Amino acid sequence: MGIFDFYLLETIINGVLFGGVLALLALGLNLVFGVIDVIWIAYAEIVMVGMYIIYYLNVVLGWPLVFAALASILGVGVVGLLVHALIISPLLDTPPINQLLATGGLLFFLQSFATLIFGAEFRNLGLSMPILQFFELYISFSRLLAFGTALVGMIALYLFLTRTYIGTAIRAVAQDREIMSLMGVNTRKVYLITSAVGGGMAGLAAILLVLQQDVHPFIGYTFGPITFMICVMGGLGNLLGGFLAAFIMSQIISIGSFYVSTELAYVIAFILFIAVMFIRPEGLFQRRA
Amino acid sequence: MTKLERFAQWSVFVLVAALVTMAPLTASAAKKIRIGIIYDLTGPLAAAGAVPASIGTQIAIDMVNEKGGVMGKYMVESVKGDAQSKPDIAINEAERLINSEKVDILAGIYSSAQAVPLSGKLDALKQFFWINVAISSAVFKDKNLKYVFRPQVHSDQFGQTSTDFLAEYSQKKMGIKPSQLKVAIIHEDGPYGVGVASANKTGAEKHGMKIVHEEGYSLTAPDLSAMVIKLKRARPDVILHTGYNPDITLFLRQARELGLRFKVLIGHGAGYGQIDKLVATFGKDVDYIYNVDPVAAQLLDPKTLKPGVGALTKEMVRRYKKITGAQEVPPHTSMGFNHTWILLNNVVPTAIKKYGGWDSESLRKAALDLDIPVGGTIQGYGIKFAPPGHRMAGQNLRASPVAMQYVGGKTYIAYPTAIQTIDPVLPLPSTSPYAAR
Repeated sequence: MGIFDFYLLETIINGVLFGGVLALLALGLNLVFGVIDVIWIAYAEIVMVGMYIIYYLNVVLGWPLVFAALASILGVGVVGLLVHALIISPLLDTPPINQLLATGGLLFFLQSFATLIFGAEFRNLGLSMPILQFFELYISFSRLLAFGTALVGMIALYLFLTRTYIGTAIRAVAQDREIMSLMGVNTRKVYLITSAVGGGMAGLAAILLVLQQDVHPFIGYTFGPITFMICVMGGLGNLLGGFLAAFIMSQIISIGSFYVSTELAYVIAFILFIAVMFIRPEGLFQRRA
Repeated sequence: MTKLERFAQWSVFVLVAALVTMAPLTASAAKKIRIGIIYDLTGPLAAAGAVPASIGTQIAIDMVNEKGGVMGKYMVESVKGDAQSKPDIAINEAERLINSEKVDILAGIYSSAQAVPLSGKLDALKQFFWINVAISSAVFKDKNLKYVFRPQVHSDQFGQTSTDFLAEYSQKKMGIKPSQLKVAIIHEDGPYGVGVASANKTGAEKHGMKIVHEEGYSLTAPDLSAMVIKLKRARPDVILHTGYNPDITLFLRQARELGLRFKVLIGHGAGYGQIDKLVATFGKDVDYIYNVDPVAAQLLDPKTLKPGVGALTKEMVRRYKKITGAQEVPPHTSMGFNHTWILLNNVVPTAIKKYGGWDSESLRKAALDLDIPVGGTIQGYGIKFAPPGHRMAGQNLRASPVAMQYVGGKTYIAYPTAIQTIDPVLPLPSTSPYAAR
């Protein structure tokens, strides 16, 4: 290995792009927790619903990909709304473990429902993404797209929360839900909108994931735990913290894989996560309202 | 007649009537052989071959029952268990089938990660266990199991077949001496991947090949790009890959996107055995990839097999296509069908006739008596189990895999040379996006 390792550079770049995928996944989960104080354990399964919507509309019904993608954002947004209205809302004033168990139940329900409808088979769009090559450097187009979308999604969410009336209401409820309720704010409406936006973010993540991965009823096992870890590491509910933690995690995995092995890179990432939990239980970046 | 006498008469009448009515029920209940069949019907492994294997198994049971059952009089009742692609669930399902369902035989099992713990547990319980698909050599190696049998090929043979194939064709087709051939070994990190990779390494070392990279990864890893980049740096001529399904498609996709080039790619069963899925996902990009597996029965020339075996294959293929609507029949269907067929037509009848029933002890003795010469099964190989005391006690010593090549969505036998149906194509032609330039 020389002074400049070209392959290491390629690894770092791909790690950054992989971080974009993880950051996008973390955004919606963090938003919901930050405002409603509820963890959607079934978040990756909700993303899976979006992936199946795109697959079904695009491959089975022949819709153009753009329309199928937009339908995924809307469809999963509605799923988010329903999750809150039917599962979370009745349990809002009960101990947090009840909400956790309820969304855990939703996880198994969605896995089984997807198996029932689509079978256990792996589905994909059959797309061959363009290859981006700069001299000997190769960059995954779908990941570049995910990275760009994660950035745009983050900025759009920031603008929504800071520049709109409902965004300001969401932030106000996130700061103190009881006081806002006493001041006459309809917190139920704010929660519903937040859940729909959180679901929409999951739909957005689904678009980019379905370009890179096969969809199957158990894809949540691949992305669920790591998304949750990133949110906790960045400080649950802290959007920017989750965003940054996604890139920290992806670089540990990528560089660890490059220098040691793919198996050990995940072990290193998990050890680091445990260490962070011991040293800063509130996450690397403290929760902000 | 006193009241007491009348009561006694009626009692006898009722008793006799009850016995007469129940006798056929008891007899028919006794005639049923209950088999617990465990496969991964859900979870990531379901689509990597477990479901086709379970369909093959059920076809064999149906065909036996259509002839009136084993020996024409003992109907077979299958009780299904879903391992859900998890070893702990597989163990729970096995316990349920044995304790609650009271099955006589346990069979099936796709995943080596399930076969390894289950075999030790069931052997200790003296429960007859017939493994149809899982291949890890670790199931038997130095365990001296007595009640576990596997007609299937084992992982050491998978790993060695690919390197033997390369040793025979590397110089001839690519002009590279085996001792100059650069080989990379990548694998999922369960017993299946580790077992095949270890045999790949032994085989490569035996032929003096250079191992330039070796790496394991988790089946559910969301990203394999760093491993792909390391492979680019190592510049192997050949990649030997063992994986299931989500990981194989992720690897092939990322390899293409990141410009990984090689001359030969040899997969070892599981996801690589699902040609329909690979073609649906990658189209022509999967042309000229190799897969080492027990042969899909329909690829063999029936003339080379025992009379009647070819017709059996034909019927299996017909039924599988009818059930699934698939165009290609994966090797896992043959494994599920073939091994269940042998169990019901060779082992169980011997157990009944020679040893008096289908309890675990009788089945064990009958399995050890089994002696089917090469050409006697639909997958070509014969069956003779390693006896107790042997290093691989319970393993079929006559099973062998083949190397198949995919061309134009079809499967051809490339190795062993004696039964090949295609002159193997290597290196990858320039039309392949993975071809070394």
